[in-house]
Amino acid sequence: MELLNTVFEVFMRTYPGFLEAALMTLKITAVALVLGTILGLVFALMKISRSKILQTIANVYITIIRGTPLIVQIMFLYFGITELITLSGFWAGAIALGIHNGAYIAEIFRGAIQGIDRGQREASSSLGMTRAQSMRRIIFPQALKRSIPPLGNQFIITLKDSSLVYIISVQELFALANREAAQSYQPLETFLVVGVYYLILVMIFTYLLKLYENKLNVDK
Amino acid sequence: MLKGTNIHKSFGDLEVLKGIDLEVAPSEVVVLVGVSGSGKSTLLRCFNFLERINKGTIEVDGQVVDPKKHKLSKIRAEVGMVFQHFNLFPHMTVLENVIEAPMIVKKMKKEDAVVLAKGLLEKVGLADKADVYPSKLSGGQKQRVAIARSLAMEPKVLLFDEPTSALDPELVGEVLSVMQQLAQEGMTMVVVTHEMKFAREVADRVIMLDEGRIIESADPVTFFENPSHERTKQFIQLVD
Ligand SMILES: Nc1ncnc2c1ncn2[C@@H]1O[C@H](COP(=O)(O)OP(=O)(O)O)[C@@H](O)[C@H]1O
Ligand SMILES: [Mg+2]
Repeated sequence: MELLNTVFEVFMRTYPGFLEAALMTLKITAVALVLGTILGLVFALMKISRSKILQTIANVYITIIRGTPLIVQIMFLYFGITELITLSGFWAGAIALGIHNGAYIAEIFRGAIQGIDRGQREASSSLGMTRAQSMRRIIFPQALKRSIPPLGNQFIITLKDSSLVYIISVQELFALANREAAQSYQPLETFLVVGVYYLILVMIFTYLLKLYENKLNVDK
Repeated sequence: MLKGTNIHKSFGDLEVLKGIDLEVAPSEVVVLVGVSGSGKSTLLRCFNFLERINKGTIEVDGQVVDPKKHKLSKIRAEVGMVFQHFNLFPHMTVLENVIEAPMIVKKMKKEDAVVLAKGLLEKVGLADKADVYPSKLSGGQKQRVAIARSLAMEPKVLLFDEPTSALDPELVGEVLSVMQQLAQEGMTMVVVTHEMKFAREVADRVIMLDEGRIIESADPVTFFENPSHERTKQFIQLVD
């Protein structure tokens, strides 16, 4: 009971800052998702292309990204390439998260595209469609629909992974929680509160995704 | 109309077609029979360029097709194919399935494509299903949509690969009667089927494929009453 009271007290004291930080978390996640989806699509198409070079590029990208920790990728973008360009913490973090996601999303798209029955490609070929036409009109729309559950999953992972950009001082939820906890000497309450913020964001997101999936199913 | 000369096709070490010569005249209906694994599907797929042949030539409408020089998509548009498992586009309505290729491949205006498609759906007896998704159709209805979809490209030849094999027996008739109607209208067709009644009544010529070779090619009466090859006799006994 005592704990509930202090948690509530911490919540009331910190919510203006946390709401702002939550907005930052959402912004960085949104940029990462847009970038990740674009990269994912491009690399998925490269991976299933008939060009060995494109396939190799995509494989190297996916192997490197999946084989190294996200936090290393974030630090690399923020500190590592300052000789080339200087990125703000926000952009370094968002881009790192985007590139990171791109590798996983590429695999999601690739799997979904290759999972479409090959009769679909054969039927579209036999009607005179080119590979590109068949991909755009027949294969990809079906693959996209199948990608939505795993994409949603990946989006939730991204939302939570965005907490790692605290390491380059982006003022998102976790960075703020870290600071609050240290200053207030109330780490238990503070991390409980920030956990609830993440939980609520994830739940909202899951709900929106369900709505979208249901809508797709009604269309069909 | 469609002519294959000395077609050879192998998958790895397995030679599936061992020198096929087959010429299909305009408006001719050729029924292709043979036991499972004899290469019937492979031959049709070669004629549609879904498979590359290893040796020989294929002519479509008097022109030898060179996969290296010709755009295969152009040629495929002239050789329609109806598949055993229909392969309708599940994310599109029946009407959208039919107008898709004319619009995308031939750049036909949507209004024109819709008029064309509605006429074809009428023809296969499915005008009332235009706005339904394929998942709501019976197998027989799906196959008739697939036929309409192929016809929408106005192909010169239509290839059928066991179009009724995936259907419940009571739905076979509706598909065969559409095919018979097409034959009567002068469509050039190559049909792989086990429906011997269709072969007897509709085919101009019946061809028996055995281990990648044509061993019998005759009009239906001769084919069924007086086949020259022992394997053909066995096959006819088996299916009849
Ligand atoms: N893509 C493929 N790869 C390897 N073998 C194949 C392939 N397609 C067909 N075959 C083989 O070729 C032979 C003929 O197959 P098919 O043309 O489907 O015969 P049918 O249609 O007369 O039953 C079979 O032995 C089959 O296993
Ligand atoms: Mg077959």
